[in-house]
Amino acid sequence: MGVKSGRMAAIELDGVTKRFGRVTALESVDLTVDEGEIFGFLGPNGAGKSTSINILLDFVRSTEGTATVLGYDAHEESTAIRERTGVLPEGYDVYDRLTGYEHLEFAIESKDADDDPDELLDRVGLSHEEGARKAGGYSKGMAQRLVLAMALVGEPELLVLDEPTTGLDPNGARLLRDIVREENERGATVFFSSHILSQVEAVCDTVGILNDGELIAKDSVDGLRDAATGDTRLVVTIGDEADGETAREAVTELRSVDSASIDEDRLTIDCNDGAKMTVLNAIEDAGVTVADFEAQETSLEDLFAAYTETEEVAPEQ
Amino acid sequence: MSTEDNPFDGVAAGLGAVDEQLRDTFGWYTVAKKEFRDAIRSRGLWLLSLIFVVFFILPVAGALYLGLNLNITAGDQQLGMQVLISSLYLNMVTFLLPVVAIFVGYAAITKERTSGSLKLLLSLPHSRKDVILGKVLGRCLVVGVPLLFAYGVAALFFVASSVTFQPELYGLFALFTFGFAIVFVSITVSISGAFSTSMRSGIASFFAYFYLTFGWNSLANGVGQIMANQLGIGGSIRWHAVLILKLLNPSQAYKTLTNSMLGEGANAARSARFSMFSQQPPAMESICTQVLNGAPQVQQGLFGETVVCGGQGSLPIYYSDAAVFVAMLVWVGIAAAISYYTFNLADL
Repeated sequence: MGVKSGRMAAIELDGVTKRFGRVTALESVDLTVDEGEIFGFLGPNGAGKSTSINILLDFVRSTEGTATVLGYDAHEESTAIRERTGVLPEGYDVYDRLTGYEHLEFAIESKDADDDPDELLDRVGLSHEEGARKAGGYSKGMAQRLVLAMALVGEPELLVLDEPTTGLDPNGARLLRDIVREENERGATVFFSSHILSQVEAVCDTVGILNDGELIAKDSVDGLRDAATGDTRLVVTIGDEADGETAREAVTELRSVDSASIDEDRLTIDCNDGAKMTVLNAIEDAGVTVADFEAQETSLEDLFAAYTETEEVAPEQ
Repeated sequence: MSTEDNPFDGVAAGLGAVDEQLRDTFGWYTVAKKEFRDAIRSRGLWLLSLIFVVFFILPVAGALYLGLNLNITAGDQQLGMQVLISSLYLNMVTFLLPVVAIFVGYAAITKERTSGSLKLLLSLPHSRKDVILGKVLGRCLVVGVPLLFAYGVAALFFVASSVTFQPELYGLFALFTFGFAIVFVSITVSISGAFSTSMRSGIASFFAYFYLTFGWNSLANGVGQIMANQLGIGGSIRWHAVLILKLLNPSQAYKTLTNSMLGEGANAARSARFSMFSQQPPAMESICTQVLNGAPQVQQGLFGETVVCGGQGSLPIYYSDAAVFVAMLVWVGIAAAISYYTFNLADL
């Protein structure tokens, strides 16, 4: 048990269902996170992200299904998992009467590690003076940095970060991303949960989208973009405004084009990925000069909204 | 600077080694240490020490400076400490200490649960068993340290007063009291693990306290009556059952232990158990002979006949002081079992 052989799954959820009374928080979730990847766990608030994480850490027990972390059973062998995992939980509180240093010492002793508290404070951007203060007086952002530092104790094989950017200012969020990358380069798997897309997009290799207790998509960031609509938006600026209607008609006829509209000299075309050259050629073939063009990929934000708000867009599993 | 110049270096290194050894040996140690570190900064703890010291010093200080009339004649100075303990300290402790234990323990887990720091604690590699154990032991220290301090200060007053200080007696009393404190802290902390809010945990703890302190005796006697009247089980079996039930109550166990410690001679434990009953003289006689293996003597007192239980026979081993002390600590195990089925198996 827990013996590593080759590349294995860092996290494996197999048909995990969790009901609280009559409320179903998770419905038969299957999820595999490979060792060494940065996995973004995305979903609106209340989708069941924290419940999933709570099951991984044995804070709650699944009603059905099994959860395995680093090869250990999430319930039976929870202590072994937490010895190898650094956690930034959601909805935690620090110990008001203990200083930052005492928090770190507690984590270091608990994990039987030999980290230097000063180095940890440096890494998360807390000064030594701040570390010597009681955590009860910390701002939300400082507390978040402290708990992140606690999560880094003992070079964990897995980092579980639940909504880690909560309370962090843009600098803090950048620092967090840097740390995530550093830890990943060291060899750690990172499980990064968030409802904020840009945070996940910026750092994750793979993204899973959870909505209403169900995992509705799992792919690489690029793959998800393709899967969502398969669309690219082209904005073409034509040489002569008078040719606008001709150009619009020319591209609308193309099979790869969904729609096109003209606004003065700007022609906006929604087309399939990879149809860019076909579209541009069609415009030029119609005798219209292309002065400039710009391709806008669908933002993951649109995609996220599409996944979580419109049922029809969800791809078949 | 050599270590000879600075002996504190050696002491610190020694303490560090002990600390590491404890950490490696006991899973709960780190949690208990954090608990104590956290709690020692709370004003409540210092208030607690103050309350203990005041309550422990008042009687003896009264004896020392105010000439409080303890009905101690010059020849009875030897007995002064016994009188003080049995007439004042014993009742004070059985009443006050559980209240203090509840105050210290009722929110031990619920507070962390509602604030969310429990997630921080359980994100680290601690099992829930270690969390409960660490909490119980940490909070025991929180009660125990002020208690020890109060005992220490009161001892100084005893030494200075006209009452003879008997270190052995005093030490034993402190030990029993500490055991009693541990029992109540364990009960409250495990109750705290079973409830979702501190309010509910506090109410449940007080309910348990009132029941154990005021309701248990009628339960024990009631069971005895039902056995005799409804089930037709009379005689010695009935009294055995009643006595065992009474001894299962930590407050009663603590009281009878202390009474036996205060008594003189071989019969001390027997008289202490015997005095837990207040039945009619014929019943008292059979309790003395059949349950406690003693010889009853009827004495004519001021308020009619009283039965005194003496005799040469040895008290059954399961009613001895050692057995009662162990039975008292069984509550720690009961508390642990409650915790297992509530906190250990619950979703946070």
